[in-house]
Amino acid sequence: MARPPFRLGIREKLLLVLTVFLAIPWLGYAYVQEVERVLREAQQRTLAGTAQAVATALHDRPALFARPLGSDGTGAGEAAGAAEIEAILLGLSRTTARIFVVDRQANVIARVGTLQRPEPAENPSPQGAARVAAWFERNVVHPLYALLLAQPTEDFSDDFLGRPLPFAKEVDRALAGILTVDRRTSRDGRVGIVAAAHPVWAGDSVEGAVVVEETTNAVLAQRNRAFERLFTLVLALTLAGATALTVFASRLSSRIRRLRDEVEQAIDAKGRVRRIAAGSTAGDEIGDLSRSFTSVLSRLAESVSHREALASRLSHELRTPIAVVRSSLDNLQGDAVSAGAHVYVERAQGGLDRLAQILTRMSEATRLEQSIGEAEFERLDLAELVRGCVEGYRSAYAPRKFVVVAPAEAIAMRGAPDLLAQMLDKLVANAVEFGVPARPIEVRVERAGGVARVSVANEGPPLPAALADRLFESMTSVRDEAHRGGATPHLGLGLYIVRLVAEAHGGSAHAENRVGTSGVVVVVALPVA
Amino acid sequence: MSRRIAIVEDEPAIRANYADALRRHGYEVAAYASRPEAMAAFRTRLPDLAVIDVGLGDEPDGGFTLCRELRAMSETLPIVFLSARDSDFDIVAGLRIGADDYLAKDASLHQLTARIAALFRRVDLLAAPPSSEDVIHRGELELDVKRMTARWRGATLPLTLTEFWMVHALARHPGHVKDRDALMRDANIVVDDATITSHVKRIRRKFEALDPAFDRIATVYGMGYRWLAEDGS
Repeated sequence: MARPPFRLGIREKLLLVLTVFLAIPWLGYAYVQEVERVLREAQQRTLAGTAQAVATALHDRPALFARPLGSDGTGAGEAAGAAEIEAILLGLSRTTARIFVVDRQANVIARVGTLQRPEPAENPSPQGAARVAAWFERNVVHPLYALLLAQPTEDFSDDFLGRPLPFAKEVDRALAGILTVDRRTSRDGRVGIVAAAHPVWAGDSVEGAVVVEETTNAVLAQRNRAFERLFTLVLALTLAGATALTVFASRLSSRIRRLRDEVEQAIDAKGRVRRIAAGSTAGDEIGDLSRSFTSVLSRLAESVSHREALASRLSHELRTPIAVVRSSLDNLQGDAVSAGAHVYVERAQGGLDRLAQILTRMSEATRLEQSIGEAEFERLDLAELVRGCVEGYRSAYAPRKFVVVAPAEAIAMRGAPDLLAQMLDKLVANAVEFGVPARPIEVRVERAGGVARVSVANEGPPLPAALADRLFESMTSVRDEAHRGGATPHLGLGLYIVRLVAEAHGGSAHAENRVGTSGVVVVVALPVA
Repeated sequence: MSRRIAIVEDEPAIRANYADALRRHGYEVAAYASRPEAMAAFRTRLPDLAVIDVGLGDEPDGGFTLCRELRAMSETLPIVFLSARDSDFDIVAGLRIGADDYLAKDASLHQLTARIAALFRRVDLLAAPPSSEDVIHRGELELDVKRMTARWRGATLPLTLTEFWMVHALARHPGHVKDRDALMRDANIVVDDATITSHVKRIRRKFEALDPAFDRIATVYGMGYRWLAEDGS
């Protein structure tokens, strides 16, 4: 059977299926994005809360914002309450937040805290396997994730001197009395900053505003950690799954391959069927397959042996009635029968002879199998044997022409000369029958390496494609109606006998169409010794 | 006194046909359908020749048993096997237990009567002293055509009738190739080529039992066999 040019094994297909798992990291990424959003909102709420708390502490204390008039009358001097505001701010400040207080003119009158977070304290150095894991995480996993995710950094600067304030917009809105939360990036653009501005009320008027700022680093770090954990887990699971599937698929495909190999070899050269051992005890589908192969093959073997036994049994069963007819006819001939009756007796005997011949042919293969079992192999010269046989065919099939191509030197091999001659008889009988009578039959014997090739070629119709594989089986005949019913009966055993003899000598036989001219050549390859 | 032939055959039609034919040839015929029936009769009186079917009723090898029992009663009584089976194994088994010849059931009556006549001739002449004009000499082979016995280097070859006829056909004209049809004609048998081959093989083996270096019967592939004369031609 033709095999598809491009083949994917079970293992490859399962691994292809496994690529579906690659969607999981993407899902994880979407999930982490969501987490980040929630965290950001929480951060914004916290900042807004802080800003409100600070502003509440400063409410209704306009004195704090009162400014001693400077010499230029613009109030450029330090606000009188600045020190007190800072004291209040310090009390409310968070380690990672920067808090500003501005007056109505958006002048910063107090600031506390820094955006930079303190370096996390170094963990106590881990021991043993944990150390390897930590090293692996630091040197392999982190750099890998750094490629995928923005990493929070504390190395940035957001210092500003003078105006415009980086949070001018928020301050404007806060001074207008609206709590504002907004995001921006640091001056150098390296980190994101969230700022919340809250108005400070004195009665009904806005005295100033509190601005609380924080970097998004904490959120980023949490997001990254969540992503890393998820991704590592998914990666580990995917790898474990892939490994398990690969092992499983390899085992599966090797079992199927073993089964296939055994099935292919289940029918040996003599057409006998061997039991299939692979998977025969397995409880799964492969076991079922193996068992059903065994049962199909044994049924096949039964039918093959039945077909072969049928011939010899029929021949045996029919001999007795034939003997009845023949002895009756012989007796009839012995009696004085009239001349008219004599003709019919003769005809009946002619038919009986043909019937007996059919029976003999039917059991020929069985008898040949027996004689193969008893055959004595001897050293012989195949070239001489072929030449001798062809001499015989020239007289037996006269006036048919035979061309023999045989090397002058001997082709020595071990074999049973009688069997080989019988094989050649069958090959030539076949060629004579199917060949064009006017054209010679070519018998060729040659040695190629360790193999002697005997071929018999005739010119005539090519082989029917449908039967090409089965020609050498028992009782296969390519004869059409025109060829049937001739003087000599045909049972399709000729090439089967050829095969039996070839295989008894450790060789093989095959038939092919001739190249160039229309016709058939049957080639028997025999090992030489 | 006419010769008395026993036919042991379970198929009534064949039995009757054979009996009629042999009676027509002037023999006295006793026909039996089974082994016990035949044995009972043989204990009272032995026939001059027995034709036995291998398969007898429900005894597939009943003929072989009968042959063995009969051979125990008489060393010289000629026994011919008839069988619907034609495998070499049967032939060899039948001949080994003492049958003088073996014939497939679909052989013609002519072939059967020719055998029976020849076997009787052999029995008659075995007692008489050999006369030299009946003996063919081919080197170390002596063929007594009348008695149908063969000797190689002075030792008797235990050939069956069919085998003797084949050796005779080959040795009569040394060097000439006898094809299988000619051998069948001369040996009064109609069998297929493979059976001829196995007959020849058995003949060779019988010669080899007396003379391991025997190589006079040569196979001419695709044609037949020939007897090699002394000078190797």
